[in-house]
Order: sequence, then structure tokens, then C-alpha cells
Amino acid sequence: MSEDRSRILNLLAEGKISADEAGRLLDALGSSEGAPSAAAGPAIKGDAGPLIAALPKFLYVKVIGGQGDNVDVKIPIALVRSGLKLTSLIPPQAMDQINDSMAEHGMSIDFSNLKPEDIDELVEALREMEINVDSKDGDTVRVYCA
Amino acid sequence: MSVPPAILDLRVTPADKSPVHIWLPLFLLWPVALALVVVSLVLTILVDVALLLFGRPYHHYTILLAGSFAALAHTRGMVIRINDSESAIDMTFQ
Repeated sequence: MSEDRSRILNLLAEGKISADEAGRLLDALGSSEGAPSAAAGPAIKGDAGPLIAALPKFLYVKVIGGQGDNVDVKIPIALVRSGLKLTSLIPPQAMDQINDSMAEHGMSIDFSNLKPEDIDELVEALREMEINVDSKDGDTVRVYCA
Repeated sequence: MSVPPAILDLRVTPADKSPVHIWLPLFLLWPVALALVVVSLVLTILVDVALLLFGRPYHHYTILLAGSFAALAHTRGMVIRINDSESAIDMTFQ
């Protein structure tokens, strides 16, 4: 099964598109099923607009405190992508300081390992990510894309 | 190319006072921002050329600055809502 087909079926399973829309998208994929490689042409033939429109465009971060405090942030995926691209452009000296500071706070992430060519793949993976945290104190954190 | 946010819709609702609704027309700042972008990009180009001539390995300040402006433009659609027992703040970049 092609990646595009499985993505459409995932969107249908998650209720983000209707069965009718899924059918039209699968029809739009049409004859691309037998395409052997990217060199043979685009994976999607026909109108890819509905498929693109169905993709999540925002990252949601919802924090519900046990004592009634709530924080709700809606971040455009394009902003996330731009931010990730910026990390690969940060000067090496500043990057070392950022990495040291993050390591001091228990987050050993080396942003210099983040290559520009990995960013699109990372953002695509982010679209399907969902984080749900429920603490003993009644605090709830949800991170998801929609 | 993305369009920067045109309006900042800010609502502050204190628990015991009347709500404040501020509608900030950010599009009025676009001409000023454009001038700043042009001036700063010219400066960073000069810096990058100088760094390149001196053989420094990092000379990407122009790309970094352009990327920063692009990130700012992508804030359109961002929503921040904070509610606690004392107040509620709702900020929307439109």
C-alpha cells in the first residue's frame, strides 16, 4: 500500500475526513498506484488540494491544572517548521551555549545534529504525534496536531 | 510566501473587573517593519561578506535573519489562552 493511500485511510480512521472525501482522494490517487518510483512522476495524480487541506495545520498544547488554571496554545505547523529550520542556522558558539544550558536542565538534546533535510520528515512525524499526560495532582497535558 | 499577522486580538478579563478587549492593527506596522527588514538584511549581508573574506566558517547571519523574519510571519493563526483564578488572557494573531 502506498504511503499516500495509508495516510488517507489514517485520516479516515481518525475521523478527520469523511468516507466520501476519502473515496474522492483515493480516486484522485488513481493510476499512481502502479508508479514504480518518484522519477516516473508525482505520487498524486489529479487534484491533491483536498488531501493537503485535510492535513493538520496546527499544533495544540493544552495544559489543564488541577486547581483550575488552564493554558491553551495553538501553534501553526508552519511556525514549528520555521523554528526547526532556524536551529540549523544558529552560530556554533551560540549552539554550544544552548546545548550546555539544556543539558544543565536535564535535556541532553544536541540541536546541531538536526539537519535541514531531516526537518520535513520530523514535521510530518509531528503531525501524527499525540502526547497525553495525567499527573497525580490532577494536572493534564495534551499535545496533538489537528 | 506567508503573510504576517495583520491584527492582534487581545482580551484580558480580570476576575473582579470588566473585560478589556484590545484590537491592535499590526498591519499599520508593516511599512516600518519592512524598512527595518531591509536595513538589517543589508547590514547582515555586509557582515557575512566580511566574515567570508576573513575565512570564517560561519557566515550565514543573513539567512538566519531572513529565517527569523519568516518565523515571525508564520505566527499568523497562533492563539494563546491563559486562564487562572484571577484573570483570563486570550491572544490571537490574525
